[in-house]
Amino acid sequence: MRVRTIAEKRGGWTRREVLFGPLGGFLASSGFSFLEGCTKPKESADVHISKLATYESDIASVVFAGFKELGVNESEIRGKRILLKPNLVEPHLGAGHINTHPLVIRGAAEAFLRAGASKVLVAEGPGHSRDSLLMLEESGLGDVLREDRISFVDLNYVAGYTVGNAGRRTRLRALILPVTLRDVDWVVSVAKMKTHHWAGVTLSMKNLFGVMPGIYYGWPKNVFHWEGIDKSILDIHETLKPHFAIVDGVVGMEGDGPIMGTPKQAGVIVMGRNLPAVDATCARIMGIDPHKVSYLAAASERLGPIREPHIRQRGEPIVSVRTDFSLVEKIDAHRGLR
Amino acid sequence: MMDRSTLVSSCREALRGRALEGGGFPMFPGEAYRPDATAWAVVALASTKSGGRDRGAVESGRSRLAGSQLEDGRVSVTPSTPESYWPTSLAILAWHGSEKHAEQRSRAINFLLRTWGKHWVKTENSPLAHDTSIQGWSWTQDTHSWVEPTSLAILALRISGPGDHVRVREGVRLLRDRQLPAGGWNYGNTLVYGKELYPQPDCTGLALSALVGCVPRSEVEKSLKCLASQVTRVRTPLSLGWGILGLGAWGQKPGQTTAWVGECMDRQAKHGAYDTTLVSLLLLSLNAGVGIGSFFE
Repeated sequence: MRVRTIAEKRGGWTRREVLFGPLGGFLASSGFSFLEGCTKPKESADVHISKLATYESDIASVVFAGFKELGVNESEIRGKRILLKPNLVEPHLGAGHINTHPLVIRGAAEAFLRAGASKVLVAEGPGHSRDSLLMLEESGLGDVLREDRISFVDLNYVAGYTVGNAGRRTRLRALILPVTLRDVDWVVSVAKMKTHHWAGVTLSMKNLFGVMPGIYYGWPKNVFHWEGIDKSILDIHETLKPHFAIVDGVVGMEGDGPIMGTPKQAGVIVMGRNLPAVDATCARIMGIDPHKVSYLAAASERLGPIREPHIRQRGEPIVSVRTDFSLVEKIDAHRGLR
Repeated sequence: MMDRSTLVSSCREALRGRALEGGGFPMFPGEAYRPDATAWAVVALASTKSGGRDRGAVESGRSRLAGSQLEDGRVSVTPSTPESYWPTSLAILAWHGSEKHAEQRSRAINFLLRTWGKHWVKTENSPLAHDTSIQGWSWTQDTHSWVEPTSLAILALRISGPGDHVRVREGVRLLRDRQLPAGGWNYGNTLVYGKELYPQPDCTGLALSALVGCVPRSEVEKSLKCLASQVTRVRTPLSLGWGILGLGAWGQKPGQTTAWVGECMDRQAKHGAYDTTLVSLLLLSLNAGVGIGSFFE
């Protein structure tokens, strides 16, 4: 891990920035609803691919350069409060390919701060574990956040507020979102590139399951399994309207993901504003046809483009980074994905 | 290193300081009342058997919980989300021994007895290894039964209700079925597509707490060994707390409990103050002689 932390580089921190911990209640409410910042579905979208051989690279500069390529202006980010949502599923020492790498979180945080964000926090509600502190310790993310003085919010235990289900693909009339979301301007899905034994792949869209508080939806968030994982992914996305996605594909997971698969070096960071387009690009990098991933195919109807001609590929071309992730024939959700 | 009584005092002070004026406890100071936090704080403060100083917070906490009980006996995370009824088991434990709340406790017990998760007979080609037909308890309405809510319901019913009820026996059967072949428990899946999943110390400690006295030791030996190994290195309150309680229930309370809880408390310097449920769990793990059941005897 790089030794120099964000805090050192910025040359000091405010009292609020020094606070670290499950701080569901400390963010002051501004009255701004992040839901207002949503954009309408677009017929085309830009997605940026960066090659990254190891996590020791300068990830912040890679992400920052990606912003420029994607037309993310500093004026859009300046003064904004950014919530980074990593993918933390289960705590297991030495199984780094399960979770978003801590140095990707650090790089993303630093890039947003460099672009003028007033605040970056990391928030997650792990799906399989109630012990989020253990997740932080065993994944190494806790040390990184402490060094960089970035707050962590355990979304599983945060009080919720009810909003109408904007997607209505499931039977759920409303969704309960964590109040933390009321106090941020941008929600950024910082996902892991993995295969998934129920959904086919888990990328920036599926990662949003972790936003939904466990106190209302359980561990695992079984309400959404019963409503249909694919439909729930779409409903959550359409209701949350996330602003940006960064997918950690430096080392992803192939085979029986999202937990029991094996590490797969893809050597990429993929990012963009439109999550279906980002995930479709990731799928192509993994050697998977996004049209055959049910929720991506459905997302293309109204959430964003997944057809190749409708995605403007920035940075590296897909063909230069494609590396087929192994699939498991006996897993229903994997069959026919190529 | 802090001694045991200093740690106990520190946890008690932290909890007492969070008691809300109108009764009950929040997760963190300055936040609103939460039934789960309240139930745990009541159980933990009552466990000190200190009488006077904690009695007020305990009694007003119990009454606040009673105020948030719904008509059918459930206690949910909020009144507006009745489907998230998992705190009901915690409320039963909090009301245990309180004559004043016997009626509420009885209604909550009846709610648990007529509530179960979704169950079905597994198809032959199911990717799941566990027996999906066994009835236990779920976190929320209309979902499958999982290890933690089933363990909490078994504890609540065995401690404060009809411990020999058929639902308890069925819950015990569920926990036996969900034990991982290599030992330990996680949230509740054992093998998926033929791959055995990983154990988690908090789930293992909770399941072991619920099963003591219901199954022979030989049946959980591998899980005890797995947990004893895991608690030597975990220092987060949920995993450590349930780890100590689970081992203690089977007469294996670690000799280093005080030192480990001290280390865990020290980590608040890096994680921030622990929430009320976690402080309560640490206090219980310090006070427990032989597991969580000993507080209710």
